[in-house]
Amino acid sequence: MKRLIALIRREYWENKGAFRTTPLVIGALNVAFLLMAMFTTAHIDSDLYTFREGIKIMAEQPDALRGTIMYQGMLGSSVLFTVVMSFVIFFYLLGALYDDRKDRSILFWKSLPASDTLTIASKLITAMVLAPLTFLVVMILTHILMAIFGSLMVLSADGNPWSLFLSVVNPFKAWAMIAASWFAQSIWALPVYGWLLLVSAFAPRVPLLFATLPPLIFAILQTWIEFLRTFTLKNNIVGVIGNWLFNSPAILTAEVHDQRGEIALGIPLSDDFDHAVTLANILDRLFSLQMLAGLAVAAVFLTGALWLRHRATDN
Amino acid sequence: MTSIISARGLTKRYGRTLAVDHIDLEIPAGRIVGLIGPNGAGKTSALKAILGLATFGGELSVLGKDPSRDRASLMEDVCFIADVAVLPRWIRVWQLIDTTEQIHAGFSRETCMEYLAHTKITPDHKVKQLSKGMVAQLHLALVMAIDARLLVLDEPTLGLDILYRKQFYSNLLNDYFDEDRTILITTHQVEEVEHILTDLVFIQDGKIALESSMEEVERRYLELMVRPEMADQARSLNPIYERELFGRHIFLYDNADREQLEALGEIHTPSVADLFVATMNRGES
Repeated sequence: MKRLIALIRREYWENKGAFRTTPLVIGALNVAFLLMAMFTTAHIDSDLYTFREGIKIMAEQPDALRGTIMYQGMLGSSVLFTVVMSFVIFFYLLGALYDDRKDRSILFWKSLPASDTLTIASKLITAMVLAPLTFLVVMILTHILMAIFGSLMVLSADGNPWSLFLSVVNPFKAWAMIAASWFAQSIWALPVYGWLLLVSAFAPRVPLLFATLPPLIFAILQTWIEFLRTFTLKNNIVGVIGNWLFNSPAILTAEVHDQRGEIALGIPLSDDFDHAVTLANILDRLFSLQMLAGLAVAAVFLTGALWLRHRATDN
Repeated sequence: MTSIISARGLTKRYGRTLAVDHIDLEIPAGRIVGLIGPNGAGKTSALKAILGLATFGGELSVLGKDPSRDRASLMEDVCFIADVAVLPRWIRVWQLIDTTEQIHAGFSRETCMEYLAHTKITPDHKVKQLSKGMVAQLHLALVMAIDARLLVLDEPTLGLDILYRKQFYSNLLNDYFDEDRTILITTHQVEEVEHILTDLVFIQDGKIALESSMEEVERRYLELMVRPEMADQARSLNPIYERELFGRHIFLYDNADREQLEALGEIHTPSVADLFVATMNRGES
């Protein structure tokens, strides 16, 4: 356990930019946009007349409606974090078993009494647990900062931020839901993580190409053959990957249409699962046949990665 | 006596070439063994097999374990510096020390810091900020602070200046080495290590060309320096190697009659470097 923690800490140190700086930048951008919006409002309308009117109209709405808007707004603000985090994890895993082979420091890491299984476990845990945790901490800080600045703005317009928007939502519920969706996504994404680690352990160079080209070529061939056979474009790897993304337990949809906000798990283009953001729907995905198949695929990829890591040296 | 390293028919193949060609090797505890060979002779391949870093053919047991299967547990008792400058470049010195301490039960932070105190390395340095020689110093400090039964050094002092090289070998001998420990060392700078070695292994084209203790080397091999007029006579006694230096002829003999040679000129124990050159020449002819 001590060794595992030391290895995870080492991953954090090596990828501080990805795991700490990146979410901080997104958080800072969120806060900056809010401040810009506030200054714009104050600049155009120095009495804050429009803003005061807006607060008044908002205050007349029922608490429940304001609560829903706040809750959905918090969930929606996670989407940018989720998307960037996915890219961070993607590139982290691609380099995880490749970089030390390239710079030959694998010869040092293999001189320590840590097994290859433990090494791969540390990298997988970093992607599945450490990355969502750091992004979560920064996102919560961002929400708190935005609430503080928003409250100051409302106060300066003689409004009451507490009754207007702070007291109508339980932030812990929103944070818990986002955390649940992220950790569920960690499990949901295991086949992809396994594939990336396998490529990372295998690629002689440019792991990005090795990760993306084979599925792409496979997809093109498969689609073509399927088309020749059935003249349809169903049941191919593109469909599988598309469904994997559409059915993701992470909140990937936050949009406004017909003057109503819509927040959804994944992207509601597939009917396999209910896309409403509830814990039950997240669990429904984790205990599905699709997930089971995904875990089997992940196990194959991870075994391959371990086999390759065991044989890997500096050349 | 139990062997630290025991190999039977050890083989390593890269495609069609045999980098290590059916080597038999026994290294007992408490020895300092120099593994010496020309470039491409198979030294590093053999070391990688011993360290569990490569697959191999034949039988190999290191501290009673199979390195290809039990690398992690083997590394609790084995340290190595495989080639130079393989420390991760992004890491800070304190992070490296912390990680090693957490993972290696036999690591002593105090010892490591003592060695580092003699250098210009500080805990906040990143490895990529250090010169090549400082990286080697750091790696040596880490390794010497680990209480291991087998220490494997592959060109440990490459890139170090002569002061630090001397210092390193004297530390190795005085502070680190004892009868329970075994050191296996490869280097091109044979002159530097020949005084600390207890055993010699020459390797050529993947085969062992010579395996001998230093006492045996001293007993078996003689170097004779003669004037040119005595050269023919010396040549008739079957030297294994001949060279010329400042107009003198120097011959190297394997198991020759000492008294017979003394009559012809000056007798010395050959240096390891000369013995190496002679052995390699004999192997090629």
